[in-house]
Amino acid sequence: MIGRLAMALAALWAFATPVAAQDGPLRIEITEGVVEPLPYAVPDFVAETPGAAEWGERLARVVAADLTGTGLFREVPREAHISAITSFASPVQFADWKAVNAQALVTGAVAQQGDRLTVKFRVWDVFADRELGQGLQFSGTTEGWRRMAHKVSDAVYSRITGEDGYFDSRVVFVAETGPKDDRRKRLGIMDYDGANVQYLTDSSAIVLNPRFSPDGQRVLYTSYETGSPRVYLLDVGSVSRRVLPTPDGANTFSPRFSPDARQVVFSLAQGGNTDIYVTEIASGQSRRLTSAPSIETAPSFSPDGRRIVFESDRSGTQQIYIMPASGGEATRISFGPGRYGTPVWSPRGDLIAFTKQAEGRFHIGVMRTDGSEERLLTASFLDEGPTWSPNGRVIMFTRETQGAQGSAALYSVDVSGRNLKRVPTPAGASDPSWGPLQQ
Amino acid sequence: MHAGHYISGAGHVLLIAWAFLGGAFRTEPLPFEVTEVSVITGEEYAAIMAAQAPPEAAPGVDGLAEPAPESAPVPEAPAPEPPPVRPQAPPETAEPQPDRAPEAPPEAPAPEAEVADSVPELAQPEDTAILLPDATPRPEPRPADRVAPTPAPPPPPGAETAPDTVPPAQAAPEPVPEPAPEPEPEPTAPEEATTEIVTEAEERDAAPDATPRPRARPERLAAAPPPEPAAPAAPEAPAEETEDAPSPAPDDVNRSAVDEMLAEALGGGGSGTGGPPLTGAERDALRVAVQECWVVDVGSQAANVTVTLAMSLSRDGTVMQDSLRLVSSEGGEGRAVDTAYQAARRAVLRCERGGYDLPPEKYDQWRDIEMTFNPENMRVR
Repeated sequence: MIGRLAMALAALWAFATPVAAQDGPLRIEITEGVVEPLPYAVPDFVAETPGAAEWGERLARVVAADLTGTGLFREVPREAHISAITSFASPVQFADWKAVNAQALVTGAVAQQGDRLTVKFRVWDVFADRELGQGLQFSGTTEGWRRMAHKVSDAVYSRITGEDGYFDSRVVFVAETGPKDDRRKRLGIMDYDGANVQYLTDSSAIVLNPRFSPDGQRVLYTSYETGSPRVYLLDVGSVSRRVLPTPDGANTFSPRFSPDARQVVFSLAQGGNTDIYVTEIASGQSRRLTSAPSIETAPSFSPDGRRIVFESDRSGTQQIYIMPASGGEATRISFGPGRYGTPVWSPRGDLIAFTKQAEGRFHIGVMRTDGSEERLLTASFLDEGPTWSPNGRVIMFTRETQGAQGSAALYSVDVSGRNLKRVPTPAGASDPSWGPLQQ
Repeated sequence: MHAGHYISGAGHVLLIAWAFLGGAFRTEPLPFEVTEVSVITGEEYAAIMAAQAPPEAAPGVDGLAEPAPESAPVPEAPAPEPPPVRPQAPPETAEPQPDRAPEAPPEAPAPEAEVADSVPELAQPEDTAILLPDATPRPEPRPADRVAPTPAPPPPPGAETAPDTVPPAQAAPEPVPEPAPEPEPEPTAPEEATTEIVTEAEERDAAPDATPRPRARPERLAAAPPPEPAAPAAPEAPAEETEDAPSPAPDDVNRSAVDEMLAEALGGGGSGTGGPPLTGAERDALRVAVQECWVVDVGSQAANVTVTLAMSLSRDGTVMQDSLRLVSSEGGEGRAVDTAYQAARRAVLRCERGGYDLPPEKYDQWRDIEMTFNPENMRVR
């Protein structure tokens, strides 16, 4: 009797977590995954005309740099490839790519005719033995080969992640040269990855706060050309510019476009008080949005254009507030220790990036639009001026190093706080503004 | 160290107590001997004991029967209550220490640009790319033989560094040096091409309250496949029963109760679902196997979506062709759902590796599986 009872108990113990009598399929819940880059392979694009082989390799390398640079993907080294892609049309040997654990495969081909390139590519889901989306083809001049590669990257990124890419985009920034006490600044524009740098102004006057228009065709910036700060509007294509119409005798700075590009919101300092104004670009009519005796600046529209986030010291310390786009009562959303500034609304609309200063350190952080879920992504001697990638996934900002020899550089970080890296620029760089995906 | 023993002991005591007191063995009142007892006070007890003591002093008196000492109703101490069993059984695994990401390698200083102060004309950057969707026919995947059964020869060492021969933008008067966005044509991509800097973790000892730390590691480690505890036990049970045949009648009643317990524990309890269900350990092993391949992009919209996939498995543990399908989703829509589904699907297929390790005798139990992928714990907070 005792033995039988013991056996019964042992059996019960062995099934301490028994499954209730099962109806239907076995149900399993997975709640923990891994955060790691997804392995992919991008063999050199197949040359379909004589002499195109060099382009094939270049294009593939830029695509690989784009994808790997996101931190979300990891390239399977070319030496590890078992299959060679010899023809764009031949079937993919999925087993060979599974063997090297490539989950995604990008195959492409390039043909050159004169100074024109034609690029086509496909994306394969290796473990599903099928193509992701359908093949695409671009054509352009050899001069624009990097843009074609970026477009391929955008398509690949989009098909794998389900979100838009950001590779075929540009950044306008302040290029800096010279020592700290005699720094020369001018506006520069470059691809998102630091390539193709060109300059939009000379360095005869200090320039600050360049901001792309939503279509990427114009840039607002602040210049001290006349001795006091004024906001200028510059056409990127023609490099022509004009002063933004604002009330006379006022210092204006910190401009930003509205999402429809018809208005500019900016700060105006007059008589020792700084407030936020909005002006219609077409008519030049300005309207005051705040009227507190404190300093209100760094305004940024929400993507729907209905609200404006800005910084103010009306509470005694610099904090972030949100108000209707037409002005009116503002709601404070930052409550943590330290000072908050330069808020920028995410293109997705869900987050606000900001600069935070606390305990002698500067941080780039994000919070929800109600101020909740604040997360600090970086920390250094001086981090400031965040700007969002067009898909709201990456933040670029300025990092300045300490000391007389310190210099400013551009960095980017994923919104998850991962993948912090420097954006290569020819010299010092600060105050980036990330433009939209190019059409 | 002994927490397991205590918990085990407490569990056993509870089970025994339940088995005896909860009526598990009692289908009808059993015949039993009734012994009448009476409650006595301390004085009475002392008196009784005192009455027992004297016999030594008093010489035996014939005819006087001494009270039987064994009949003294000693107040029995109540059975000690089993200590309350704590509800949580297994000790939680320690929170994984956030792995400290290596500091980003210092970037090689970009070449100093020679600066000229003239306003350049901008190179015409407008798009020259033309999007031609569907311009290329899909190749018919045919079961062709391998085109190149031999591995492609590695490229010559210098092949990657194709010199940048792109002519500089003609319109730009300044010879802007190419900042070499892909400067190092390393033959092997760094394993972690990304650096991860969570600065607050470095700056403060306490866990950062605001810094995102994706919880990357599964809580349960993939332990060795659990032993099959149950299968052999089942046939033994009846065999043993036959041996103690000459047991008294009350035991027969108990035996049937024990048999019921055994049958229920082994899952055979007449459910008719074809074999015992998977044990918790077997389910865990499957769960761990899949989650090791589930790559979650914590910063994406898809990280808000919980998807449930249905699939059918062959007897060898492989997922049947075309049986994988999306059953339901919540927390998002459109592309986010599709991305979440694809990630889950890849996890299932990647970790299959020739078939999941599942007990073949329970095939009926795991032939059809519904797997829910819930990234809630992974999400950036």
